[in-house]
Amino acid sequence: MSLTLIVVLVIVLALFFDFTNGFHDTANAMATPIATGALRPRPAVALAAVLNLVGAFLSTAVAQTISGGLIKGEGAHIAITPALVLAGLVGAITWNLLTWLWGVPSSSSHALFGGLIGATIVGTWDVGSIDYQVLLGKIVIPAVLSPIVAGLVAYSSTKLAYALTRRSDGRADGRSGFRFGQIFSSSLVALSHGTNDAQKTMGVITLLLISANLQPAGQTGPQWWVILVCAIAIATGTYTGGWRIIRTLGKGLTEVKPAQGFAAEASTAATILASSHLGFALSTTQVASGSVIGSGLGRRDGHVKWGTAGRIALGWLLTLPVAAIVGGVTASIARLGDIGLIADLVIAAVVIIVVFRIDARRRVTAEHMAPRAEAEVASATEALAFARTLTDTAAEGERP
Amino acid sequence: MIDWLSFVEVLVAAWLGATVVVGLFALGLRLLAVSGHVPFVPPVEFDEAITVLTPKQVKKETKRVRKAQERNPYSPGVRLIARVGAYALFTLSGLFVLYGIYLMVPYLHH
Repeated sequence: MSLTLIVVLVIVLALFFDFTNGFHDTANAMATPIATGALRPRPAVALAAVLNLVGAFLSTAVAQTISGGLIKGEGAHIAITPALVLAGLVGAITWNLLTWLWGVPSSSSHALFGGLIGATIVGTWDVGSIDYQVLLGKIVIPAVLSPIVAGLVAYSSTKLAYALTRRSDGRADGRSGFRFGQIFSSSLVALSHGTNDAQKTMGVITLLLISANLQPAGQTGPQWWVILVCAIAIATGTYTGGWRIIRTLGKGLTEVKPAQGFAAEASTAATILASSHLGFALSTTQVASGSVIGSGLGRRDGHVKWGTAGRIALGWLLTLPVAAIVGGVTASIARLGDIGLIADLVIAAVVIIVVFRIDARRRVTAEHMAPRAEAEVASATEALAFARTLTDTAAEGERP
Repeated sequence: MIDWLSFVEVLVAAWLGATVVVGLFALGLRLLAVSGHVPFVPPVEFDEAITVLTPKQVKKETKRVRKAQERNPYSPGVRLIARVGAYALFTLSGLFVLYGIYLMVPYLHH
């Protein structure tokens, strides 16, 4: 297969990943305002889409961490080839689609990093091709700490919001006014998501162009057309809306009240801003989930459904390794040459079609925002069986 | 090396940012309530919304808010100051959000 064709195919796949990143992460900004009734679902996702589009143009700092950092080597000598990027993307897309189907707010960034790491290790037969210092310091440890930081911040600001508006004389406290504030705080989260997550795909495409010698190695910033197509892909994905995950975050973890939602969104935005300012490529999803849990603990009569929280945490633990394994398997297939590459593309197509067909059978849309046990989903694969236990237990957790 | 200090930095910065924005907005709401203009924003309605108030609940809450406005113990002067203060705090809180956007765009501060 000619190099140009491979590059074109990988870019298409990368943009599809960007699209899944968008609809996987709509929930980060919009689950809480939808849950409290601050915004209607459709306008909420439209707002998030526009802000993601704008955000993608605002900064390219994160993109450069990916195109020049994680994988060792310089320019044309970089340890990754277009075929390996393709394999890594198949791993990332597979895990992102499955977790979306299960309604688990898992990290799209970790799926992407996992896929690329697995593909690079298998593709080069060299465990040393990954910079583990960067992996540990910039990805793994922030992944563990960022939801805790966000949770602590959300806990304290929820307490503060309630303390400042508490009226001992029982008069109307005006807390519903936080609904108005939520429109702005969730917008800030959506904007910061655009400046963070759209960058990751831009970084991958740039990495690809460098490894294919289509972009000079010294120039690690993304080209303008890369920024444009990535921004459009993530905005389209965001507008499509990952309703399954919105439901988990907005209702599955804890009941969200306006004051709490405002505090959670402010904490999410503050944590993302503070850490991306210091160069950590953290997961927006994990921060948002941490904030929702923290704000649930911060409200006096708030309850956190730890069963769902535990399942989400399990999803986080699995994300990087599973995406890495899938990426590794597809990379070993890609080693077979052109036939291997075609086989990888077929695998990606099959995964995408199967997941969307299962989704179509039991669709969750803007009109399905109330929680419902989805146990009647027909089981076709093992994946589905797992999904079933997941929704079953989540439903059990909701009954006191 | 893993830079533990910068994690502490993130925690402190995020905590300060969120505390300031949430604190200012909450204080603003409090002052608005003192001024007699208790805000009441009912949840938007859509099919199968998670938070739903029945028309009866909305009516009850509106009545409670109106009552609070009528029986306000503060003098008109205090109420006016509280109202101006409330809007000043909302503006400040909004300015902090704008500062967040400023921080997000390297083009603006580099």
